Amino acid sequence: MTYTIFKSIKLLNPATNLNEISDVVIHKNKIFSISKDFQTEVLKQNNQIDIYDCDGLTMTPGIIDMRVNIGKTENLVSTQKIAAENGITSMVILPNQTPKLNNPSIIDHIKRQSENSKLPKVNVYGAATKDDQGLEMSEIGLMSEMGAIGFTNGNKSIKNSLVMRRLMSYAAMINRPIIQHAEDEDLSGLNKASTTLINGEMNEGEISTRLGLIGIPSCAEVIIIERDIRLAKLTGVNYHVAHVSTRDSINVIREAKKAGLKITCDTAPPYFSLNETSLLSYNTAFKLSPPLRIEDDRLAVIEGIQDGTIDAIASDHRARSKDTKVQPFSAASIGASGIETLFVMTLELVHKKIIDLNKAISLLTINPANVLNMKKPSLEKDKLAEFIIFDENFPDMINQNNLKTSPTPFDFRKINGKILGTFINGQAAYISQMFKDKIIK
Amino acid sequence: MNELLNNKTESFLSSPVKLSSNHLLAIEGMKKSEIQNLIDRADYFANLDKHSNTKTLQGYVVLNVFFENSTRTRVSFELAARRLGAEVINISLINSSIKKGESLLDTASTLNAMKPDLLIVRHPHSGAPLLFANYLNCSIINAGDGRHEHPTQALLDALTIKRRVGYLEGLKISICGDITNSRVARSNIHLLTIMGADVRCVAPSTLMPSNLENLGVKCFYDMKMGIKGADVVMLLRLQNERMSGTENPSEREYFKFFGLDETKLALASPNAVIMHPGPMNRGVEIASALADDSNRSLIKTQVEMGVAVRMSIIEALNNTKNEILKN
Repeated sequence: MTYTIFKSIKLLNPATNLNEISDVVIHKNKIFSISKDFQTEVLKQNNQIDIYDCDGLTMTPGIIDMRVNIGKTENLVSTQKIAAENGITSMVILPNQTPKLNNPSIIDHIKRQSENSKLPKVNVYGAATKDDQGLEMSEIGLMSEMGAIGFTNGNKSIKNSLVMRRLMSYAAMINRPIIQHAEDEDLSGLNKASTTLINGEMNEGEISTRLGLIGIPSCAEVIIIERDIRLAKLTGVNYHVAHVSTRDSINVIREAKKAGLKITCDTAPPYFSLNETSLLSYNTAFKLSPPLRIEDDRLAVIEGIQDGTIDAIASDHRARSKDTKVQPFSAASIGASGIETLFVMTLELVHKKIIDLNKAISLLTINPANVLNMKKPSLEKDKLAEFIIFDENFPDMINQNNLKTSPTPFDFRKINGKILGTFINGQAAYISQMFKDKIIK
Repeated sequence: MNELLNNKTESFLSSPVKLSSNHLLAIEGMKKSEIQNLIDRADYFANLDKHSNTKTLQGYVVLNVFFENSTRTRVSFELAARRLGAEVINISLINSSIKKGESLLDTASTLNAMKPDLLIVRHPHSGAPLLFANYLNCSIINAGDGRHEHPTQALLDALTIKRRVGYLEGLKISICGDITNSRVARSNIHLLTIMGADVRCVAPSTLMPSNLENLGVKCFYDMKMGIKGADVVMLLRLQNERMSGTENPSEREYFKFFGLDETKLALASPNAVIMHPGPMNRGVEIASALADDSNRSLIKTQVEMGVAVRMSIIEALNNTKNEILKN
C-alpha cells in the first residue's frame, strides 16, 4: 500500500477558496489527507511511503482545455499525452475534423478510442449541423446521450439565423450549450459558397494595408454575437462565444451578462499576448482565426479577463504541418499550436500582475467546467486525486525546437513557470525528472 | 549651356550603387539616399546610347521567375539584365509546378540548386518574395507580389518624374484609382513620401484601403478635389481580377467620377503630367485621347525608363553582394 506525501506544497483550490501551504497525502487514487504537518507515524509500518519535498511548488486542479482541434496530422492519443505533459487533465475537441463529428456513433467511437484512465479525458463537441453549409440540424439529442457536451460548428460560424434559432431552442431543451465561432463569413470573405474572390487573411487596418493582405473588419465578430444574443434571449439557451478577440465583442457580452442572459465566453493566449503587428514579416505562425487584432483589442481582452466578462481561457490548439505553413501568407493554413503554451502564457498574466494566481487557475479549471456543465474539479479529502504540480517561477523560454506541436506563435518568448507533474485518476500521467529528484524518502 | 550640363552631370551617378540589403523586396524601409542613388544611376543608364558597352556582369545568372502573367515587366527585366551582359533565363510557372502541387518552398530549393545570382520574382501572393529571400542564397528582386509592392515600378516612375520635372521633393502627386488592390500604389506611396513629395490618394471608398493616411498621404473621395493643383496625376488600373463585384457599380460610373478626362485634368496644375503603370483600360481610368497626348502623358517614357532603372538595380545588387563578400 503506497502513500505519496507532497510535503509543504502550496495548495490552491478555487472551488473551496483554499490557498495555503499544506502536506497533501494521496493513497489509492484519492486524496487521503490535507493537513498542516502530516505525521508519517499515523500510517502503518508496512506501508510504502514516498515523500516529495514540494517547497516552492504549487498544486492545483488540472487544466480543462475547452477548445482543441485535432488536425489531420495529429493523432488523438499522442495529443492526449502532450496535453498531460502540459498540465491538461481534460480537453474538449472540436467536431470539424475528418471525419466530422456529426453523428452519435462517431461521438461514441471517439469517447471509446480516448478512454484511458492514465491520459487526459477527452470530451467532444458535436457538430451542430450535419453539413458544411450549416443548414441541417444534426442529431444533437442522440449525440448528447453519447456524451457530447455541447454543440458547435467548430471554426465555422453558424450563419443562418433560423438554423441558429432552432439549434438554440433545441439545445436549451436538452440542456446543452451552443458554442459559436463568431465571424460573419460574408464580411470576412470566408464564405466559400459566395462568388467573391476575396479571402480575409488578417485584421483589417493599417497593417493589412501595408502588407497588401486582405483585411477582415473586426466588426465581423460582434455582428454575429449581437444577433446570437438576441436569439439566446428568445430561446433561453446557454450560449458560449469561443475565442473572443475584440473590444466591441467584449462590451456586448458584458452588457448581456449584466442583463442576466446565460452568456459566457472564452479567449485564447494569442488574443491577450499578441497583436497584429506580429504579422509584419508575414510570419504564418500568426495566421489565426480570429485574426490577431489591434493593441486596443488586446487590452480589452485583458480587461475582460480581469472583470470576469471572459469566463475561461482555452488553448485553441490548431497545430499545422510545416508544409502548410511555409507558404506565402495567403496560401498558408490557419491556426497555431496551443496545448503546450496554454499554461505558461496564462501564468504570464500572473507574473505581469494582471490577475492573481487563483484567478488564473480558475480560468483554466473551474470556470470552463461551469461553462460546460462538467463536474467541478476540486481538491478535497477523499476526492479523486486529479491535479497538477508546477513551479510558478521557473525561468524558461518557449522554443519551437523543444515543442512537439507547431507552429507556436510564442517562439523565443521568455516565460516563467513549468509543469512538473500531472495526476489523472490518482495516477501520474506525467512526472518530470525535476520532480522525481525531489523525493526525500 | 555649360552650366546646365554641369548641373546634369552632378545628378548622374557614374559608378554602381551600394544598397543596405542583398535584395530589393519593398520600397518600405528603404533609405532616401539609396532611392536617390538608384534613380541617379538609372538616369545615367537612360542617357547612354543603347549600343554603349555596359556589359559588366558577364557570367551573372538571372532567373526571371513569373508566377503571374506579365509582358512589360518581364521583357524590361530581361533587356536590363542582357544590357548588363548577364545571362537571363525566363521561367513561367503560371501553369507548371503550382498546378502539379509542388510547394513554393520546393520550387525555391529547386531553383536554388541551379545556383543563380539573382532571382526576379513575380507572384500573386503578398510577401512571397520575402519567403524566397529567406530560403534562397541568391539576391531577390520583387517584380510585384500580390497587393503588396512593386518596387521597380515605383523607382521607374520616380526616374520618369525626375527627368521631366527635375525633382520630387514638394511635388504634388495624386495617385488615383484602385488603391486597395494595387501594389504599384503602395510602392509609389512609400517612395514618394520618403522623397518628400506631397502625396494624395484618390479612390472610391470601396477601393481605398483602411487607415491609408497612416502611410503619410491624404485621402480624397472626390477626384476633382484630389487632383486640384497636382503636378503629377498617376492613374491605376482597375484590377477587376482582384475584385468581387461589389466594389464598383459599373465602368461607366467609374469613369464619370474617377476617370481622368479634360475637365478634371483642367483642375490640376497647368503643366501637370499623366502617368499610368499599364496596362490601361482606356475609357475607364483615362480618356483615350489623354493617354495619347504626348505633351502630357508620360506613359511611354515610363516603359522606356523601366530598363534603365532595372539595370541600376541589378547592378547595385551585384555590387552589394561583392561588397559583402569582400568584408
